[in-house]
Amino acid sequence: MNEIPRHIQLSSVGSEQEYFRYPEDIREEFIQTDDIEFRDGSRVTAAEVWEYLTTVGPVKFPNLYDTSNLFTGRLSRDVTLPFTLKHNYLLMTMHERMTKAKAQGHPIVFVQGGQSVDPYYAAGAIALRPASTGIWARRQREGLTRNQDELEGQQDKQKAYNAISFEVCNSAGYEHIQEGNVPADMVAPYTALRCSDVSYGTEAHRHGPRSDQVKLLLVDYPLDHQKDKDWAIRYFADNVRRLIKNIDGLTGRTTTEDDLAREIKLHNEGRRLSVEIADLWWSAIDPPTNGKDRRDLFQLGGMEVHGDPVASLSILREAKGYIERRVRDGHKTKGVQDNAARLFVCGSCVFPNDYRCEEAGGIIVGNDNHWSDITTIINESGDPYYELAKGVLSYPYEQPLPERAKWTVEQIKKSRTDGVLFLYKWGCNTQSAIARLLVDEIKAQAGVPTIIIEDDMTRTQTEQLQNRVNAFIEMVS
Amino acid sequence: MTLKSVDVILKRLAERPAELAAARAAGAKVVGFQGYSLPEELIHALGLIPLRIGLGGSDRLVELGGRYISTKNCVYVRETVGLFADDTDPYINNSDIFAFDATCLQTFRTAEVVQYYFKKNVLIVGVPRNFYLEEAETYFTAELRHFVSRLEEFAGAKLSFEKLADSIALYDQIRDEILAIYEYQATARPLISWEEVFDVIQAGYVLDRRDYLGLLQALHDELAAGQGAAVIAGADDEARIFISGSVIPPGDKKLISIIDQLGGRVVGDDLWSGLIPYVEVDIKEPTIAAVAWAYLHRTPHGALPYLDLATDGRIARLKSLIGKFKANGVIYHTLRYCDPYTFKAKETKDILENIGIPLLELHTEYAGSDVEAIRTRVEAFIEMIKLKTETGVAA
Repeated sequence: MNEIPRHIQLSSVGSEQEYFRYPEDIREEFIQTDDIEFRDGSRVTAAEVWEYLTTVGPVKFPNLYDTSNLFTGRLSRDVTLPFTLKHNYLLMTMHERMTKAKAQGHPIVFVQGGQSVDPYYAAGAIALRPASTGIWARRQREGLTRNQDELEGQQDKQKAYNAISFEVCNSAGYEHIQEGNVPADMVAPYTALRCSDVSYGTEAHRHGPRSDQVKLLLVDYPLDHQKDKDWAIRYFADNVRRLIKNIDGLTGRTTTEDDLAREIKLHNEGRRLSVEIADLWWSAIDPPTNGKDRRDLFQLGGMEVHGDPVASLSILREAKGYIERRVRDGHKTKGVQDNAARLFVCGSCVFPNDYRCEEAGGIIVGNDNHWSDITTIINESGDPYYELAKGVLSYPYEQPLPERAKWTVEQIKKSRTDGVLFLYKWGCNTQSAIARLLVDEIKAQAGVPTIIIEDDMTRTQTEQLQNRVNAFIEMVS
Repeated sequence: MTLKSVDVILKRLAERPAELAAARAAGAKVVGFQGYSLPEELIHALGLIPLRIGLGGSDRLVELGGRYISTKNCVYVRETVGLFADDTDPYINNSDIFAFDATCLQTFRTAEVVQYYFKKNVLIVGVPRNFYLEEAETYFTAELRHFVSRLEEFAGAKLSFEKLADSIALYDQIRDEILAIYEYQATARPLISWEEVFDVIQAGYVLDRRDYLGLLQALHDELAAGQGAAVIAGADDEARIFISGSVIPPGDKKLISIIDQLGGRVVGDDLWSGLIPYVEVDIKEPTIAAVAWAYLHRTPHGALPYLDLATDGRIARLKSLIGKFKANGVIYHTLRYCDPYTFKAKETKDILENIGIPLLELHTEYAGSDVEAIRTRVEAFIEMIKLKTETGVAA
């Protein structure tokens, strides 16, 4: 084992970089908490998680322990919430865990964010969205500082921009899949209205260097009042059948309706837990966690971020109890100011820096993207294909604007939002197109101030974005 | 020399707004539509007047549209929204209802914006992205049936087998005439230019379809009769250019005029605002299912993803048209934020390179600020093609 670096000398600037460490005084309490269970039946104890986060992680991934508040992905300082440690452990071990799962015969299927992954797991695959794909790829590089990690990430992205277009919004893991950093067997997302790049991004894989090794499939998501059209539901159900059949072709097994029904039940539990946690979180007078932990908790109900729904579910179950206690005890979260301005984020798959929002006197309390799918519980009786299709086609985020706005306003009211940020990624055609429309409707129905901001999705050069967000926080405070 | 029948078409085009207003005053109902997969035959067969709406080339309208839809949407979409905001376009103002399809997701968003801000009565037709699958035919047929049922309510009439058969026959004839006329522009000694044929095709977006067929037949006759007569002055055949990529709607003359000014000769296109919607549309019987099948089996629009490069019908069509029209270079026109075509630019360039056809991608908007930059690039491209032609290195 290499020595754990406490500082790294930055020779070019002659200064030392400080690194975060989990404080020893929380160890005893933490190691008494629950094990993480995995899909293959294995477990890891809290003591093992502690060991990894305090001895292995800092050596392998010093970049993740960077203390800068400019680092959006900075480790949460809320160390008494065991969820945050376990979530970080699962993300840090992504490479080892996914490599092991693939060796166990689970095909890797690339999907999109904001979609359910029940059918993929029912067929024995691992469904990874762009963020998880990026995490897997980046956890293969050890010993990097944050700047080195950022630089390598940008270089990866350039490969995708060269192969597709500089106008591709985030390249959706193209570079990792086609460069072979992530050994994906299939690219098979739901198409959906949420992102036009999903379809064209999938199509682009047909000319990549690994095009002969990566199977391509689109699970075609029909548009326009789709949930009210029986033919649209049946069409999507047929697409899901085709998806499962194709995954079966990779595994050599036959997925049954019971397999799908079981998986839906499992994922429903995750979705319900996240919704319950959200209701608890929103019911508290003071936010029971910081914004980043809130987001991670809420999104966990998607059951896909760790590449192992059983693991996600196991830490979600435990987290609910902690949030209940915090809400009951009137817990005040370090770093969150009293009477912080409560912000709701709409739009693309981008976010402002939670920590800096909190420094400015705000806190992000909710978002529409990566949430509307989680709030959609699938009916567990009847034909699982049809019921899954019916549920998926009813995602509020994918509905015609009046319905999407109505649902968004409900979330805004439940979360007691003071102001709405509509953020869209540069080049995100379909979300930017309705930015004004949605916020106009929100203003009319909820009476809260709104702002539309374009984000270029870089992690370090966010000062202009943050300036605007901070000014907005000041206004709504 | 402009052909007499082309002059007549242009004259009829100028008269059309007043004609539409008169028809509406007499009780006719008009459907303004936009989208590649929206079968006009169905609108026409219900006794409604179809108008394909949308213009290009106006920076003012783009700016106006950008107040409602995002500046990250393509200029065609923004200008379409701008037309609604401006409220002076005779075709939009003479439409009673609007239909959009979801071939391009930005068109779908346009429909939402138009409905919300301009309180228009809007119908949307869902289009399967997996258009090549059997289940997609079932879905699209159901979408078209739903579309027809809503149009029937609007029209106060039922779609009949006979009327649909008549409309399909009419549109088949229009398509045949367009294909025939298109051949003339690509000949070595043309009587008509590609630009004129392009204008004639786009005139058909708004003209009465029966009148339009008559006008096309007259043009076809005039071209047939004039074979061997005087050719277009300056029809230089050394740089035969094929245009591919994003839509070039009526009003957008920027790129075409630059090519023309620099001595390039456009001889073909696969634009959805040009030739391609008329190629191999095979409606086998007068039913909605047959219409759905035919529209799904046309050359696919770039916004409909196809996952196997080797069997992609759009690429195959592009190659065959380049060969047919003996083009020796492709100008691939992409509008900013037009993802369907922009994402395919490099791929298309690589494919054509393998068959010896050079491709120049021009990524642009309607603003005039890049005209000189485009001119320089087109000039160099044409010069290169001419050099290749002269030295016999052409494909």
